[in-house]
Amino acid sequence: MRVRLEKLTKRFGTVVAVTALDLEIASGEFVALLGPSGCGKTTTLLMVAGIYRPSEGAIVFGDRRVEHLMPKDRGIGMVFQSYALYPHMTVAENIGFPLDVGRSTSKEEKSRRVREAAALVRVDQLLDRRPAQLSGGQQQRVALARALVKRPDILLLDEPLSNLDARLRHEMRGEIKRLQKEVGITSIFVTHDQLEALTMADRVALMRDGVLQAYAAPGELYARPGNQFVAEFIGTPPMNFFAADIGARNGSVVARTEGIELELAGFRPPAAGAQATIGIRPEHLALVSPGEGDASGEVYVVEPMGREQIVEVRIGERRLRAIAPPGFAGRIGDNVGVRFTRERLHLFDPASGARLA
Amino acid sequence: MATTVRGALPPVPRPITFRWTSAIPYLVLLAFTLPILVLYGWLLYGSFFPRMEGLKPIGAFTLENWRFLWAPETVDALRFKPPIIPLTINTLIFSLSTSLVVLLISSMAGYALSRIRFPGRRTFLAGVLLLHSFPSVTLLIATFLVLRQLRLYDQLVGVILVKTAFELPFGIWIMKGFFDTVPWDLEMAALVDGAGRLRTWWRVVMPLVKPGLLALGLLSFVSGWNEFLLPFVFMPSGTQQTLSVLIRGLIGEGRFVDYGLVTAVGLYYVAPILILFFFAQDRLMKIYAGGVKG
Repeated sequence: MRVRLEKLTKRFGTVVAVTALDLEIASGEFVALLGPSGCGKTTTLLMVAGIYRPSEGAIVFGDRRVEHLMPKDRGIGMVFQSYALYPHMTVAENIGFPLDVGRSTSKEEKSRRVREAAALVRVDQLLDRRPAQLSGGQQQRVALARALVKRPDILLLDEPLSNLDARLRHEMRGEIKRLQKEVGITSIFVTHDQLEALTMADRVALMRDGVLQAYAAPGELYARPGNQFVAEFIGTPPMNFFAADIGARNGSVVARTEGIELELAGFRPPAAGAQATIGIRPEHLALVSPGEGDASGEVYVVEPMGREQIVEVRIGERRLRAIAPPGFAGRIGDNVGVRFTRERLHLFDPASGARLA
Repeated sequence: MATTVRGALPPVPRPITFRWTSAIPYLVLLAFTLPILVLYGWLLYGSFFPRMEGLKPIGAFTLENWRFLWAPETVDALRFKPPIIPLTINTLIFSLSTSLVVLLISSMAGYALSRIRFPGRRTFLAGVLLLHSFPSVTLLIATFLVLRQLRLYDQLVGVILVKTAFELPFGIWIMKGFFDTVPWDLEMAALVDGAGRLRTWWRVVMPLVKPGLLALGLLSFVSGWNEFLLPFVFMPSGTQQTLSVLIRGLIGEGRFVDYGLVTAVGLYYVAPILILFFFAQDRLMKIYAGGVKG
């Protein structure tokens, strides 16, 4: 089912948690609400769920406005960060609860659907246990089964992976994504982890201070961040930034800063004598022999990651992170050259953070 | 040293470190507890012997003092009193009704106070606390006037209502505390799962505060069972009296007090409470071990 948020606003007293949020989610799409804590992503989810009443704006499911409806009348299933399993009920009773309270379902039908939902997330062996007897991953699966048993139109997930250990998180990441496509259910999930958002979602809505910063497919968000905040937030290790003066040389535009001079081919020059914040991702910096490349510096620290190494290079007073192949043998203090991949430079306005080019 | 099974941990040797100094706290505690133990011992002895001289029983073991149970007509002191079995039933009705009404109202009020932000909530909570600290004696005359106006004076129902009112502040606060420990998430989950507010309260929240309900129910039952002042003042005519009033009558009237009878009736009076605590102690102790586990 298609979901549309129009000028959705939520105020708590004088604090504005979400400001005029517009978002459209296609039927069957998997959308991540991403942002640092306090950015309004959970508030948004709870408004969609019907727990919070919006201060202003509309929530439309399909062609139906729902912002005045109780959660039970919205056709949603939800997985909470804490899983919120009912501690006094068995797994089967937990999964069956939405069927108990909804339209009357026959006993056989109910137990069939409970087993079906349990099998979908592979907890059908645990039906007699209580939540306290389950591991975190199992609780997560039960919570998913409970959210899906009603066959809702929309699935909401609030930080579904944050309580799992790293290994399990990776496993469930793939599994939730797979399940979402299998069931084909329109889904919204909230996360503060950009990696989760990039790996799982069809589209990512990045929020800050209650304002939507970007809404795009993960690849586009990564390749062409619309402002500096988006560029900072997306990607690990994070993008490098430095301030530079924009000037002209031999008819072309160049960005200059201490120890670095980059020709900005194909960029429309901002006002002459302007300042810009240059951004470049670590994988777009190549380490070359001293004296070659666009700048020279010395190795500040090397962090081997197995598949690659993260090398921090000091150029003047500034440090840039680069990704080097495992064969890179530089040591702390070694001189090294740095080459920028020109077409991967990002320019931002230093004052507003908006993308210049 | 015991032989160890392969793969199993060797038993930890138990250090023998008994020192006389470790007995000191027990001796001190015993010294303070002794008077209380003597009290209960005296009560027990007194009911099974014809007479006590100080702490010493006089005469041979006898069940004579207990004959109020099977031959009340032969007990002088009970001649002009209502029979004991109906009194016991009255006490039971009084305590049970108080307890149930307190549970019902406290669990609803406590839930509302814990969950709903309504105007005047804080003032209400503070007011309830103030009421709790009010000694009921100071309200006796006003209560009397109200009861008479409502035509509930000298009736068990009236006293039940008064007792409930006095117990409610405590109950509301206790239940609010228990509801505060139930995570919001569970309620949100129930709402999303399709339950309304009432069903969420009944199916999800109430089962999670069961330890609190049990404790409060028990405490208000005991408080009702022990209540003397209210039945004594507000039910003077006697037919609906409770056991505590009877015992007061046995001690406080006439020149001669039959202490053997008083101790026996006293034991009869506390027995249900002792039995109740014996069976419920585990539950009562679990109050704080309960709650919600993630």
